[in-house]
Amino acid sequence: MQPNDRGACLNNDMKANRLLILLSIILLIITACKKEADPDPAPSSGKICFEFHHYCDGLPLDFDIRKYVNAAGNEYMVNEIQYFISDVTLHGADADYTIDAWKDIHYVDTDIASTHEWKVFDEIPAGDYTGISFTFGINEEKNQSLMFTDHPESLMFWPQYLGGGYHYMKLNGKWLDTNQFERPYDFHLGIGQIYDQQSGEVTGFIQNYFEVEVPGSSLRIDVGEETLIDLVMHVDRWFKNPHTYDHNYWGGDIMQKQDAMKVGCENGWDVFGVLSVDF
Amino acid sequence: MLVSCTQEDDPVPIPAGATPYVIEVPFGFPQKMNIPENNPMTVEGVELGRCLFYDGRMSGRTHPDSLMSCATCHLQHNSFECGIDHPVYENGFTHGLTGIPTPHLMLPMINLVWNMNGYLWNGKISNDNPNTSFRNIEDLVWMGVLAPHEMNGDTNRTKAVIAAIPGYPEMFKKAFGSEEVTMKRISMAVAQFVRTLISYNAKFDRYMRGEEQLTASELSGFVLFTTEEGADCFHCHGGFGNPLFTTNLFYNNGKDTVFPGTDDRYVLTGDPMDLGAYKATTLRNIELTGPYMHDGRFATLEEVVDFYAHGLLWSPYINPLMHHIANGGTQLVPSEKADLIAFIKTLRDEEFLSNTEFGPPEELPE
Repeated sequence: MQPNDRGACLNNDMKANRLLILLSIILLIITACKKEADPDPAPSSGKICFEFHHYCDGLPLDFDIRKYVNAAGNEYMVNEIQYFISDVTLHGADADYTIDAWKDIHYVDTDIASTHEWKVFDEIPAGDYTGISFTFGINEEKNQSLMFTDHPESLMFWPQYLGGGYHYMKLNGKWLDTNQFERPYDFHLGIGQIYDQQSGEVTGFIQNYFEVEVPGSSLRIDVGEETLIDLVMHVDRWFKNPHTYDHNYWGGDIMQKQDAMKVGCENGWDVFGVLSVDF
Repeated sequence: MLVSCTQEDDPVPIPAGATPYVIEVPFGFPQKMNIPENNPMTVEGVELGRCLFYDGRMSGRTHPDSLMSCATCHLQHNSFECGIDHPVYENGFTHGLTGIPTPHLMLPMINLVWNMNGYLWNGKISNDNPNTSFRNIEDLVWMGVLAPHEMNGDTNRTKAVIAAIPGYPEMFKKAFGSEEVTMKRISMAVAQFVRTLISYNAKFDRYMRGEEQLTASELSGFVLFTTEEGADCFHCHGGFGNPLFTTNLFYNNGKDTVFPGTDDRYVLTGDPMDLGAYKATTLRNIELTGPYMHDGRFATLEEVVDFYAHGLLWSPYINPLMHHIANGGTQLVPSEKADLIAFIKTLRDEEFLSNTEFGPPEELPE
C-alpha cells in the first residue's frame, strides 16, 4: 500500500465508519419506529353480541293473538314492537366500558329478524363485569332529527312539533275496550310535550328516555371470544309496575299525553332481563 | 355513487368508456339505494332507458295503431301516473294495448330508487322474492311488455324490433359494451332511467331546507299530518324525518270489512294480519295521481280525507296504527280538512313534473 494510498485508505475507513454509524442510526430509528408502530401487543379483548327476545307473562310472545290480560284487566294482543336501546355500558369492578359513542344506538324491530341480533363492533377489554345497563330510547344529546335517513330506523322519526328526534319505542296492538270493541293501541314512547292550557300550543318538551339496569347480567369477556347475551323484553311489565296502565283510561294514542308516557317509562325499569349469558 | 347492494347477482363493472351516473342524495333522503349490483347506472344507460321508456315500439310492433311505451300510461305531468285526466284512460283506469282492462291501479313512479320494501301494491316485486323473476324494476319492464293487460307483447318481438332500428345498437354499445340488443339489456336500461326519477324540490322540501316558509294553513295542516290527535298521517306516510312520504310498507287502512285475499299483501305472506293490506303510496305529487287507493275508489283528495275523517270500517285485520277507528275516523272539521289538503299540496314538485331530463328525448333513434 502506498502512503498516499494509506491516507486514502484511512480516508476511506473513516468514510466507511461514518457510513456504518449512519446506517446503524438509520437502522436504529427504523427499528424504533417499527417497534412503536407495530407493538404487536398480546390480545386482551373480546367481543359481545346481544340477541333480543320478547316475552309476555313469562313465555315467548305470541303476536297477533288477543290472549293476554294486563294488570288493569285489559285483554290485549301485540302486533309489533320497534325500539332503540343505546349507551350500553358494561360495569366492571374497576372501570366501566361504554360501547362506542354514536355507534351504540341499536334498533330492534320484531318484524325484521336481522335486528334481533347485534354483534357489537367494539373490542371490549377482557375481564369480569358485574352487569349491563343501557338507555332505553336515545338521550337528549344524540336524539337529533335526520340522524337516521335510512329505512327502517328513519321510520321511527318523532315529529318536530312533538319534540323531534325519534320514537324510543312503538309497541302496537289491540285491546278489548269496555264496550267489547277491539281497539288499536299505539303505546309509543318518546319526547313529551308541555302544552299551554289556554292556547293548546306546545311550550316545552320533556325527555323521557331512561336508564335500564339489567338484573342478573354479570358476564365475563374472554380474550378473543364472543360473549352472547340473550336480552329479553317482558312486554307485560310495561303495564304493571309500579303503575297499573289501563288502555281504557289512556286510549289508543299517547304521543301527546305526557302523563301516559311518564307512566310507561316509569314502568320500564324492570321490563328487561337476561335469559342467559353464554361465555 | 352511494349504492346499497340489494341482490345477490354478481357485480358487473360499467363498460369501458361509459360514464357512471351519480345520484346526488337530496337533503334528508336515504343513503341506501335499491340498485342491483348487476345493473350499475351509467349516463349512457340512463339515456338509452329514456329513449326506450318513450318509444312506442317497445310493444314489439311498428304500426301506428299498435305502439305502446311505458310513457303511454306513465305521464310525467301526472307524476308518471296515468292521472284522472288522461285522454284515453277514462278516470285513470288503464287498459292494455288490446283493450284488456288493467286489473290494478297505477302507482306513482317517483323516488323508486329508495324503495327497499317491494314494488307494486302488495310488494310482490322484491329482493326477498324467492322467484328471481320478481325482484326489481328490471322485472317490471319484462312484465309490462308481456302482460296481456299492458303491452300484450312478446319479448323476442320487442327485442327484434328495437334491434332493427339503426340508432339503437350503437346506444346499446355505449351503455353495455356491445351492440347486442337483448330484452335483459332493454329492461336494465329502462330501470336505470326510472331510478333517476327523483322528486326533492317541492315546497315542503324547500321548507325543510329552510328556504321557504309555509302558509298558516299549510302549517296547520302539517301539524295535523304529524300528530296522533290530528290526522296521524305520518306513521304511514312519512314527514320531516322521512321525506319519501311513504314507508313503502303495507297497511289495512279500514276501507272494507270483507277481503277476498287475492291481490293484497296476504297473497304473499299468508299472514291473516295482511288481509286487505296494500302499500301506503308516496304523497308526493299526490294531487295529480288520482284516483286513489289500490282500486281507485276515490276520485279526489277531498274524498280521501273525508274517508279518513268519517268513513273507517272496522275489521279484525285493521292495522293497529289506525287508532282513530274507535271514532270511525279522525273527525276532522271542514277547516281542518282544508288545512290538511293545503299541506299535502305542498308536496307538489313542479320541477319534477317539468324536468326535461325526465321527459321524452328530442328525437327517438331511427
